[in-house]
Amino acid sequence: MSRNSALNEWLDKNMGRIFLAPAVTLILIFSIFPLIASLILAFARVRFTGGGFKVRFAGWRNFDKQLFGSEQFHLLGTFTEISVPGWLFGLLATGGLVWWMVRYVRSRFTWFGFIGRLITFAMALGLSWMFAATLLSGNPFGTVGTTLFYVIVGCGIQFVIGTALAFACSQTIRGSTYFRVIFFVPMMITPIGVGYIFRMMADTTKGPFANVWQWVGLGEFAWAADPWAARVFIIVADSWQWIPFVFIMMLAAFESVPRDLGEAAEIDGASRWQSFWEITWPHVLPIAATVMLIRAIEAFKIVDLPNIMTSGGPGIATESVSLQAYYAWRALDLGQASAIAYILLFITVVICVSFFNLVVLARVRNQR
Amino acid sequence: MPNQTEETRGTTKTISIRDLNKFYGSFHALKDFSIDVEAGEFLVLLGPSGCGKSTALRMIAGLESISSGTLQIGEQDATNVLPKYRDIAMVFQSYALYPHKTVAENIGFPLKVAKTPKAEMDAAVRAAAEQVELGELLDRLPGQLSGGQRQRVALARAIIRRPSVFLMDEPLSNLDAKLRGNMRAELKRMQSELGITTIYVTHDQIEAMTLAHRVAIMKDGELQQLATPKEVYSQPANLFVAGFMGSPPMNFLEGGVVNGEFGTEESRFALPGAPDTAHAVVGFRPEDCTLVAPGAGLVDARVYTVEMTGDLVLVTLELGGAHLVVKMDKDFEIDTDVTAGIAVQPDNLFLFDGNSGDRVDWTGPRS
Amino acid sequence: MSTPARPHRSIFEPPAIGQMSLATKIVLYSVLIGWSLFVLFPVYWLLITSFKEATAVNEGPFFIPWVDFQPSLHAWKELFVIDYADTLRAYFNSIIISLAATALSVLVGSMAAYALSRVEYAPNLITILFFVALLALVAVSVGVWGIDWRLAAAVGVALFFFLARAVGNLYQVRLQNGDILFWIISQRILAPIVVVVPIYMMFQSVRMLDTHLAIILTYTVVNMPIVVWLMYDFFNSIPRDLEESAQLDGATMIGIFREIVLPLSRAGLAATTLLVMILSWNEYLLALFLSTSRAQTMPILVAAMNAGERGILWWTMSVAIIVMIIPVVVLAVILQKYISKGLLVGAVKG
Ligand SMILES: Nc1ncnc2c1ncn2[C@@H]1O[C@H](COP(=O)(O)OP(=O)(O)O)[C@@H](O)[C@H]1O
Ligand SMILES: [Mg+2]
Repeated sequence: MSRNSALNEWLDKNMGRIFLAPAVTLILIFSIFPLIASLILAFARVRFTGGGFKVRFAGWRNFDKQLFGSEQFHLLGTFTEISVPGWLFGLLATGGLVWWMVRYVRSRFTWFGFIGRLITFAMALGLSWMFAATLLSGNPFGTVGTTLFYVIVGCGIQFVIGTALAFACSQTIRGSTYFRVIFFVPMMITPIGVGYIFRMMADTTKGPFANVWQWVGLGEFAWAADPWAARVFIIVADSWQWIPFVFIMMLAAFESVPRDLGEAAEIDGASRWQSFWEITWPHVLPIAATVMLIRAIEAFKIVDLPNIMTSGGPGIATESVSLQAYYAWRALDLGQASAIAYILLFITVVICVSFFNLVVLARVRNQR
Repeated sequence: MPNQTEETRGTTKTISIRDLNKFYGSFHALKDFSIDVEAGEFLVLLGPSGCGKSTALRMIAGLESISSGTLQIGEQDATNVLPKYRDIAMVFQSYALYPHKTVAENIGFPLKVAKTPKAEMDAAVRAAAEQVELGELLDRLPGQLSGGQRQRVALARAIIRRPSVFLMDEPLSNLDAKLRGNMRAELKRMQSELGITTIYVTHDQIEAMTLAHRVAIMKDGELQQLATPKEVYSQPANLFVAGFMGSPPMNFLEGGVVNGEFGTEESRFALPGAPDTAHAVVGFRPEDCTLVAPGAGLVDARVYTVEMTGDLVLVTLELGGAHLVVKMDKDFEIDTDVTAGIAVQPDNLFLFDGNSGDRVDWTGPRS
Repeated sequence: MSTPARPHRSIFEPPAIGQMSLATKIVLYSVLIGWSLFVLFPVYWLLITSFKEATAVNEGPFFIPWVDFQPSLHAWKELFVIDYADTLRAYFNSIIISLAATALSVLVGSMAAYALSRVEYAPNLITILFFVALLALVAVSVGVWGIDWRLAAAVGVALFFFLARAVGNLYQVRLQNGDILFWIISQRILAPIVVVVPIYMMFQSVRMLDTHLAIILTYTVVNMPIVVWLMYDFFNSIPRDLEESAQLDGATMIGIFREIVLPLSRAGLAATTLLVMILSWNEYLLALFLSTSRAQTMPILVAAMNAGERGILWWTMSVAIIVMIIPVVVLAVILQKYISKGLLVGAVKG
């Protein structure tokens, strides 16, 4: 046996490790280790000294400041009195969540499932009351609220429009190739560029729609100075950029529906509408859930659009959690930056894992 | 011969399988499987789908780990040898042709891997292609070939290396009936010309009967009988083998034996010399019996359907909820719902133990 | 069946013809054309802005070149003649970084995906937790207690090798391939902001800030989960008997991967490459942390045009955004014929 074949032999025997090792090593170095280091920083005060830095243990102080202290208004929102609708919503949400837990405990019970649901429950409860105490009580909300607004409203819009366009394009129509190419275009533009393009679009005096703005009497309106207008504008830009992603995925999903299923339904006398809800929709639903999960995961990270379009303003109205952490870092407050980032991570993981377990996996389980 | 890197390569070998077991998790897919295959033999593994034939074959190839037991190829213990050192060629049911390589590249792949010089390789590819009559198609891609042609490419790729063992997993099952007949004949001829030990998996008993030197019949991961096709047909080891071989399958009557007389609920007849048991099964093949007047045969039964197949007539009769099939001449005629007798020569009757299912020798050994 | 060539229909190709009523058609076309306008108009505006003089931008909306305003190349000149050094450096940085990061993450990611789809792993969760705990301990002792990092690392490694075996043999909780896969894919949930500060400090301590390599490595890791996820599904859809046959014929694993698996995965690789390329090309936050001048990428350059004392120069910014689109379009055109429809669905079908 030559040396070469001995080497090959060794490679063959250890192929499993050799192929997986680079990926695992890279993740350990650039993902797991920073994650641990970041956790340590979140419990520390970092001081920069000439050329290096000093880390001192700070306990819960960073989190305390963000969640309950002087930065609470920034992260979570301003809390004063809770208004009547706030109480109503909060109590309703609490009732609903308690009912959901009770129903789970009664139907089937495993410790693992129970603890998982308990975490989901706590997160949902906290966010509901945050919503009740800020938005519904006329108080400004913080970066967590803004981020969730981007995720829920933004992804919702993108899903509805993207899916509708995909369905339209999956029909047999002339010119569909051109529409597909055109609809794909925004994905190729850098998010920074999208931010600037939409700043031009939104300009009420020099932008393309200046005459329209003037005509409806909003000629002097500075959208960047109005919290809701600014948020909506960021969502419009974000949707413009990301609808193509939903579109392409859902288009592929619609076209993967076996044609003979639809034909069989037609022979059985189903209308177009029935055949859509009975055949097509159930087929694409699991794909839709996964697409939404991916989109939501990315949406939680949103940072470039608010930074470019509004710098988080007016005030903190359009600031996302990521952006807040970035600003903290820019102010050289690494402890705070890490604590904020960890809070974001916690919220993202709980919401995404809950969605995955309760929506995506539940469907798979039900099918078995 | 092209790629004999070691002296032992290319000479056909015996295979000795001892107590092979395979577990998939807790599922016992292969149970104490033992067979000795002679050099140059054509052995067929036969059994219904899911009985573990492919598992056994893949374990011999080394594609599936061996949970316990030993495997010997030639003189060497191959239990833990990597597949590529077993000097085995395998033909898959799907043919496993590389869709991005031309026919020539597909056939030449084993030689390319062995770093055979180009000229030598080309000659070998052409020779192998000639042997399976693929000469003109060498530049095509597999996607441009018919099913039969793909099958030939797979065969050519297997023979080009002159391996010491051939393994084939249902190689003909994706072909239509006519092509399958032709390929079967060619395969048989090729194997006997090359003289390479071959293990062939199929669920088709005709393939097994026509191709095999010996047939190994399996059920639920267990070997039922290992014998020549003729023996398997005339001396089935148990009820399963008897019912599996033959088309249509053997007829069975359940009952008991008392004082040399076999009795079911409906009828009774003499089985001289048969041992007494409370639970026994008598079997006879459709081709070993004829229809006679009621009362003149072994049992009487009501005609259920009559099917004309062209060269013969299959009459299905009903007796106490069971169906019995009789093969008659092509111009035999009978109405449904009339009662007829079934006559069988006593030496054509098989007796099985009703509990174990094993065949009972009750008139001495048959030929 | 392996051999019949799968029709490689491109995602941009419509299916066969059917029938629908006129009213449906009208609604359908107005929706599609309306959306096309919504998509194309901002791009058109971007394009004409890049040819506008300052006056044509500032004095209100002008829509049609030569009719409304006189197009000029001044913005293009400014970026590519006057400021060419900055522009071209950022452009080449972006190209080098995204090409290298894409190549690396596709390579490393597909290798991992292939291994996960073909080899059975059974790592012990206890050993892994032990390892992570030690890692944390080392990090704390270096960062907080100020122990020399070489000493801490050496002690950590020693502890791991002596104790992990013992502990691992006592308690065994075996993970499966699915768990490893989930772990890798779940890395994508991490917002860059969570890990970027330590990464920044890491690169600072080895003096690699503002280098190509630092950004390339970071991008590789950030995008690898996507590669693993897409390619795992793709490899799983390749019939195994092809590889088994090659294995019996004596091919080595590397040979099988190169000769059989990779050529058959062209469609999957093309789509994955395109996606990862777009993500690396457009990435902003990590580049913002890790580059200051020498390794600055295009998104940073574009974003920085905001900060000038002359206010935003919309015309040069438009040029920069347009030239950023070009490579993506080129790549998409090159790769699109390989990207078959089946891929994207296979990837999300769970
Ligand atoms: N990788 C596997 N994991 C679990 N069970 C398997 C696996 N491969 C085969 N089996 C099971 O083992 C049994 C035998 O399979 P196989 O050998 O393929 O049967 P066949 O005789 O049809 O070729 C079947 O019940 C099958 O479900
Ligand atoms: Mg099989």
